[in-house]
Amino acid sequence: MTLDELIIQCKKQDATAQGELYKQYNRILFAICLRYSPNYTEAEDNLQDAFITIFKKVEQYNGKGSFEGWMKRVTVNTVLQKYRKQRTFEIVDEGQIEDEAELEIESEEIPLDFLLKIVQELPDRYRLVFSMYVMDGYQHKEIAEMLGISDGTSKSNLARARMILKNKIEEYNASNYNT
Amino acid sequence: MKEKKNIDNIFNEGFKNIEATPSPRVWENIQAALKKEKKERKVIPLWIKLSGVAALLALLLTVGDSLYNSSNTFVTPEITNENVEQTEKQLQENKSEIEKQVNDSHVASDDKMLQNDATQDSDASENNASKNKGETKSSKNNLINSSNKATNTIIASNNSEKNASKSKENQKKDLIGKNISKNNVEEGIAISKSNSEKANADENPKDKNESLINKDKAIFDTKKEAVVVNDNSKEINSEKSLVKTEEEIAQESNNKKSIFDAIAETNEDAVAKKKKKEKPEHRWNVAPNVAPVYYSSFGNGSSIDPTFADNPQEGDVNMSYGVQVSYALNNRLSVRTGVNNVDLSYSTSGIEVGTGPVAVALRSVDYGGKDIVVTAADKGSFANASPSNGFGDIMPKSTQGDAKLVQNLNYYEVPVELKYAVIDSRFGVNVIGGVSTLFLGNNEISVKADNFTDVLGEANNLSSVSFSTNVGLGLDYKLSKKFTFNIEPMFKYQLNPYTDSSVNFSPYYLGVYTGLSFKF
Repeated sequence: MTLDELIIQCKKQDATAQGELYKQYNRILFAICLRYSPNYTEAEDNLQDAFITIFKKVEQYNGKGSFEGWMKRVTVNTVLQKYRKQRTFEIVDEGQIEDEAELEIESEEIPLDFLLKIVQELPDRYRLVFSMYVMDGYQHKEIAEMLGISDGTSKSNLARARMILKNKIEEYNASNYNT
Repeated sequence: MKEKKNIDNIFNEGFKNIEATPSPRVWENIQAALKKEKKERKVIPLWIKLSGVAALLALLLTVGDSLYNSSNTFVTPEITNENVEQTEKQLQENKSEIEKQVNDSHVASDDKMLQNDATQDSDASENNASKNKGETKSSKNNLINSSNKATNTIIASNNSEKNASKSKENQKKDLIGKNISKNNVEEGIAISKSNSEKANADENPKDKNESLINKDKAIFDTKKEAVVVNDNSKEINSEKSLVKTEEEIAQESNNKKSIFDAIAETNEDAVAKKKKKEKPEHRWNVAPNVAPVYYSSFGNGSSIDPTFADNPQEGDVNMSYGVQVSYALNNRLSVRTGVNNVDLSYSTSGIEVGTGPVAVALRSVDYGGKDIVVTAADKGSFANASPSNGFGDIMPKSTQGDAKLVQNLNYYEVPVELKYAVIDSRFGVNVIGGVSTLFLGNNEISVKADNFTDVLGEANNLSSVSFSTNVGLGLDYKLSKKFTFNIEPMFKYQLNPYTDSSVNFSPYYLGVYTGLSFKF
């Protein structure tokens, strides 16, 4: 079955097609869920919700843009719905100017599981903003709209997330030299 | 190797094209949820929902009507026993016929549903059975699946990588082992060993870095194949573990619950989850509203005097305003109440105005103890004055233009309504039904002509507390998560507005309520 046929069948809520679609894309979308969720179990829950939404809303896919991109957006949106409610107490420092050099870090063989772990450990909003901006290429304006926050908050959340991650990587590097 | 890198790049590159495999539980849950939804859709098709709403409205109207009519029969007990008997008989006949029909249709639809269920269930168990089979098969072929089930993190393999980096020699071996295992898992470890010896010789330091980078992704892709291979660098070990994993699989399948148990469990999970989801985020909603209301009547009588029954009468447009509070029972159904100030007015034309003793004036007007009052009568009445009708005692007033009798009413309305969302998206469509209690506020009857206006007094035949049945359509547009713009055309039928039930005047009012509601 080609992708187009698969989409048509999914629009008819055909169970076989749904299974096939899941088979083809669950791994890509699960990787996204892992980055946006605080842990493995919730990532699985979110993947489940995302696919249910995809199967329900597949009729709304109008062929514009890639289907994979559409599914990724649905997945991100599904996850956002769950975590954007959380209020993080933050000091919005609009004037904060990031020094690019400060964000440079020695990167020697940092294992992916460690990177994932520290992303998952971020407070909900920081994690969402960081994943959206850095890994999924959303602009601050879009992020602000999708999360119901201001541009400034999005920027400041991103800066805080970067600093937290940077510190953790540095700690990791230091402990690795010592051992 | 040390290198300064931007933190964004570390993550961006690290997670590029990464894939990860969730546990099979996820797909099972998705299937269960989808199946449940299908069933739900089948069981409650739209026409049943709509007929439910229609039934509710019908009930409200009949209750309302009977309330209205019951006061009628109280005053005019003209129905003979014969009639009652006859109608009762007819009613019973109708009833039995209806019952018969209902039973028939019930049986038919039940049968159909049963059949559907049965086929669905058997399909499901078949699917699951074959799926489970496939699973065990694949896990036999693939060492990874079984070993993965125990460790719940996808990147556990990176631990082995960590070990590897400690000694160069180990790393080399490791690397080669991993690469080869990826290609040759099916061909067996024996071959992979000989290959690894070969590859070992070919390996040069430059390639190493490259393969290191590839490694990360390869590990991800092949779901920790390396874990097993790494442990089994020796042939004997690998064989052992092969046997072991097979044992594990056997054990696992023994431990597995029956398919039916599993289905029941996942279904339960899905139900619990769904229930959780159906809870609305914000249950309370407060909505100030304002509406132009148009007052009119079904009956052709007059509430002021029977002699005006054939006069031109028309309702006027007034305003209603107030505030409503609603509580969402679930995502679709909410119950609401509130208080509205309603102004209504109604005019009767084709009259003439005069002054005379209160005894011959309008009976339905409370003149407040005055002896000589302003009154109105059907046009032409004063000319046909005779001692019997008392019009002779009235001094006609010369008025210019069309004189009108205007009745102004003011109610405080307390509605209790149910609102059901037929379409619940950014743009919503709702069906609304309910009852209102109307507390009479000010009311007055006045006469108006081009050159003359006078208040006659209050109407004395109005109930101080009355009721109305309300139906309407609610259209809303969600401006944001909390604010919604509503526009609700409502039809409200008054049940017992007059204490004097001989008045053949069944007023209703139509309003288009607009407002902004706020959720909290």
